[in-house]
Amino acid sequence: MKVIVIGAGLGGLLSAAKLSGSGYEVEVFERLPMTGGRFTNIDIKGYQLTTGALHMIPHGPTGPLAQLLEEVGADVIIERDEGMAFMRIFEDIENNIYEDVPFGKFGKTFSLWNRIKLALFMITTRKNPPKDCSFAEWLSRNFDTPLAYQMADSFCGWALSLKAADVPAEEVFEIFENLYRYGGPGVPIGGCKAVTDALADVVRSNGGTMYTDKEVSEIIIKDGKASGVIIDGQKYPADLVISNIGHNFTHDLCKDVDISEEHQQYLDRIKVTKPSAGVKICLAANEPLIGHGGVLFTPSARLVNGINEVTNIDPDLAPQGKHLVMAHQTTQWERTPYLEDEIDLGIKDLEEIFAGKDFEVLLTQSYYNGWPVNRSSSGSDIGNTTPIEGLYVVGDGAKGKGGIEVEGVALGVRNTMKLILDN
Amino acid sequence: MKVNENCVGCGQCTAFCRKDAIIVKSKAYITDKCVECGICATYCPMKAIEVAE
Repeated sequence: MKVIVIGAGLGGLLSAAKLSGSGYEVEVFERLPMTGGRFTNIDIKGYQLTTGALHMIPHGPTGPLAQLLEEVGADVIIERDEGMAFMRIFEDIENNIYEDVPFGKFGKTFSLWNRIKLALFMITTRKNPPKDCSFAEWLSRNFDTPLAYQMADSFCGWALSLKAADVPAEEVFEIFENLYRYGGPGVPIGGCKAVTDALADVVRSNGGTMYTDKEVSEIIIKDGKASGVIIDGQKYPADLVISNIGHNFTHDLCKDVDISEEHQQYLDRIKVTKPSAGVKICLAANEPLIGHGGVLFTPSARLVNGINEVTNIDPDLAPQGKHLVMAHQTTQWERTPYLEDEIDLGIKDLEEIFAGKDFEVLLTQSYYNGWPVNRSSSGSDIGNTTPIEGLYVVGDGAKGKGGIEVEGVALGVRNTMKLILDN
Repeated sequence: MKVNENCVGCGQCTAFCRKDAIIVKSKAYITDKCVECGICATYCPMKAIEVAE
């Protein structure tokens, strides 16, 4: 059996590693000169920035991605700074007076009545997660403190690059459940690139082939079944095609399809999936700004949702003695024409949060539309199959339920592998 | 090189520019340090950089 994978991002590489180790002949085609997609490193002045992700794996060494990496034999070390997630609550932002509240004790700043309700919900929502409303709607029904919304927006913005109003409550509670189940974030030693490079090594050592600078122009469909791809006019036959470029771009490559009623329903569903947008601000620091390797959530900030300082775990991600600090903020879809203002406000946030510290902005990076934070925003993913037999979609356009970012990618790949290998 | 409206400002180009000729803030701006080598265009995921006419 031969499989062609379109796109050498995390989802494509995970799929290629798994299938090449399960007896499949695998070819991976990447249009860019490099592999890794939005999960690899780029060097700026000796700092290891990234093409997308923030050098963090949401559930660290024990989550779905770490499990899948181990299963396929990818040699990656993921380290977790246990218990290091804080909410920075400002009492007086002008004078830089704040308290860092541990993430798990966020209710501590609530009134007694809200704390009692919170304790109750911690139990009841695990059994009966709320359905059919956004996380923000659910909060407004149950809590009357503005800080609760700010915390919710900070968490959803950091983890999903969405406002709490744009995430189904059910998805957020599934994520909380996964935080109980798998634990908090970790940093891959060597950064994102260590993960995608290790996977590319696995593919090659399993006998698979990786091509860069090769852009697929068409997915060949014969008798309703995917049977290969076309690159530079040349046909590459295959029994299965796995696409890592999201449902919409994948559909654009299917030129010769009869649109059945079922197929039309699929097209209607993928058309409304919205990629999530966001801004990452990368700082070069001459001293530690955070001092731990976890996450600093910033609910009091104007736009910044959360910040990490991965050099506390892997000092080699910055020049010797320096620190790499990365801040993420979600961008509302209607704000993308005003990105420059969004970036300026984010920088202003960071100047206040780290007032008096020695740092400078290395690079600001923005993501939306065709190169987004997530091709399909969390809670709106529509699975890994397509109406075309033998054509699957993986990656951040087809994440598994409750999976934050790359954990969702891993869950989606796991689902897809199960469908293929059990067949 | 010139940047078209596809640019989202991801900054991938600037990391591969050998002349430090690209400034990125919400989109990429090519400065006069550019020597038209074209490397940035090959690394752009949005096909947003073209050879200037």
